[in-house]
Amino acid sequence: MISARRLSRSYDDGERGQVRVLDAVSLEVQAGEFVAVVGRSGSGKSTLLHVLGGLDTGYSGEVTVAGTALACLGDLALSRFRNEQVGFVFQSFHLVQGLTARDNVALPSFFAAAPPADTLARAQEALERVGLQGKAARLPSQLSGGERQRVAIARALFARPKVLLCDEPTGNLDAATSEQVVALFRELNRGGLTVLAVTHEERLRGAATRVLTLAEGKLQ
Amino acid sequence: MNGAALRRLVRLNVARDRRASVSSVFGVGVGIASLVFFVALGLGVGHVVREKVFPVDTSLVEVVPSQLSLGLLGGKLDQSAVDRLAALPGVKRAYRKMQVRVPAVSVYDGDFFGRRLRMGIEVLAVGVDPDFVRRDVQLGDFSDPGEGQPIPSVAASRLLEIYNKTFAPARGLPQLSHGMVTGFTFPVDWNRSFVAETKPGPVTRSQAQLVGVSDRGLLAGIVIPLEAAVRLNAAAGADATTFTGVALEAVDPSQVPALVEAVKAMGLRVDDQERRLAENAGAAVAITTSAMALLSLLICVLAAFNIAHALSAAVRARERELGVMRAVGASRRDVFRLVMAEATLLGLMGGLGGTLLALAAATGVDMLAARVLPEFPFKPDSFFSLPAWLLTGGVVLGVIAAVAGAFLPARRASAIDPARVLAGQVG
Ligand SMILES: Nc1ncnc2c1ncn2[C@@H]1O[C@H](COP(=O)(O)OP(=O)(O)O)[C@@H](O)[C@H]1O
Ligand SMILES: [Mg+2]
Repeated sequence: MISARRLSRSYDDGERGQVRVLDAVSLEVQAGEFVAVVGRSGSGKSTLLHVLGGLDTGYSGEVTVAGTALACLGDLALSRFRNEQVGFVFQSFHLVQGLTARDNVALPSFFAAAPPADTLARAQEALERVGLQGKAARLPSQLSGGERQRVAIARALFARPKVLLCDEPTGNLDAATSEQVVALFRELNRGGLTVLAVTHEERLRGAATRVLTLAEGKLQ
Repeated sequence: MNGAALRRLVRLNVARDRRASVSSVFGVGVGIASLVFFVALGLGVGHVVREKVFPVDTSLVEVVPSQLSLGLLGGKLDQSAVDRLAALPGVKRAYRKMQVRVPAVSVYDGDFFGRRLRMGIEVLAVGVDPDFVRRDVQLGDFSDPGEGQPIPSVAASRLLEIYNKTFAPARGLPQLSHGMVTGFTFPVDWNRSFVAETKPGPVTRSQAQLVGVSDRGLLAGIVIPLEAAVRLNAAAGADATTFTGVALEAVDPSQVPALVEAVKAMGLRVDDQERRLAENAGAAVAITTSAMALLSLLICVLAAFNIAHALSAAVRARERELGVMRAVGASRRDVFRLVMAEATLLGLMGGLGGTLLALAAATGVDMLAARVLPEFPFKPDSFFSLPAWLLTGGVVLGVIAAVAGAFLPARRASAIDPARVLAGQVG
């Protein structure tokens, strides 16, 4: 489902020159796996996720996700890939203020090449999957942290992607709420979704079927 | 991104940044309002100058005899000169004009539209080929009726305007319309003057009857049939064969310059005093209008900067949100379009609001002018001309100003690196 070969990513870092955050990383994730990537802060976890999700293009190497080779895609094709093939979940939820939970969930349809006719029903269905069917009309400011993250997960599920990419999804949640979110990931994974989550949280690690460590630009 | 989604997000953004949006719309609105207002004023006043104050017929060339006699070559405007003028290329018709070459006065003592009027004024009479004013003649066929009969006369519409706006109010005389004066008869004493020298012959008295009011009338006199002028001149022993002027009607106004050159080559002069006055007055209006329009354009430019500033701030504040949109499938172009569409909406509101404001201001000024300003000659019902192109242009320019201001912020927004803005913790 996810395949990265000799993936390298460097940043210009002022005085020290080029800093190699990912150094010829290779990664294979099979369909249906739940993989956790751990590593200390600044080890390049987010960078890896962005490259795999088609948000970052400044890398070298080969990346194939859900059958799509990303290296040869332009901005439009890459946007379409993000719109249809992957779902992102971020540490800080990143909901659009002013849009209701339902509209936030349906946000991918705003940018879809062919928006589904049943957008609202789909959004409602995604909200049901995260247990928030009763709060569809709420604004983000009227939701708790855990609820916001579940809305963000519903948004990631809206386009029915094959892969979920999660960047410290429990990082901003308290223990009890984390528990619920991790349980949700496990359930989604059991339903066939491939999940790649970067984290340094124990619980999420425990839920994964495989745990990899990112350190010094290498993945073990 | 589809249109419905775009509209939705644009509305959301405009509503969320209400204060900045209001300021942006206000800026564009003020610029567009003043631009439309001043251009409309310039057009309106220019219209009055052209159509009423100096109703210059752009296809007419007024030929007058040369001041210096050029001997055999001419300079005189006799019938053969008129024939040659009429044969010039580009001439549709030549209208002869002959002044009555004896002074004349009108001493009026009697009923004047319900008031008693006693006054005497000098009268300047010019005979013209009847067709020159025929379309404005309301009574009879404007031909010389012969001795003893009232002479059909045409007055200038400008003269009537000046009478109505200054003379009549000052003297307590009634306002007169074109229709009212038609048929009015007054006495004229030929070879009599209060100020000029007269010929040795006797004073002859006749009547003159106004048969129409025309833009082609004389500002300080009356226009009578050419034959009548010839007859009066012959009777007074004055020159009854050469003309005091010829009005050449060009086939097309564009041929006027060439015609003027040809006339000069014949040793004749062209009287372009009226045309010059009209052009000068028109230029004065145009220059004033341009200055105000330029100032207004400057306001529009400032409005564009204001929008650029507001949108830059908005883009910076919404960096993460734009990043999220990229993450769920927005392309760079989508983000660019989103910011531009927001500016378009702001510009549209500013342009529409400004144009409506200008419309309201123009109406208000006209109403105020009607109530507060005293009557004066050529005072128009409206000082403004608001053609459809100006109203449309106001709205379009509002959008252009906003879109121009939005261009750089939109570029910056589309270049946001989602990987940079999305990672890590907020706050
Ligand atoms: N846009 C960027 N420009 C420069 N350096 C960056 C950029 N993004 C990340 N980095 C650097 O790359 C390294 C890895 O960052 P990141 O992938 O966010 O780590 P993690 O998610 O594991 O904390 C850090 O040292 C960070 O400073
Ligand atoms: Mg990170």
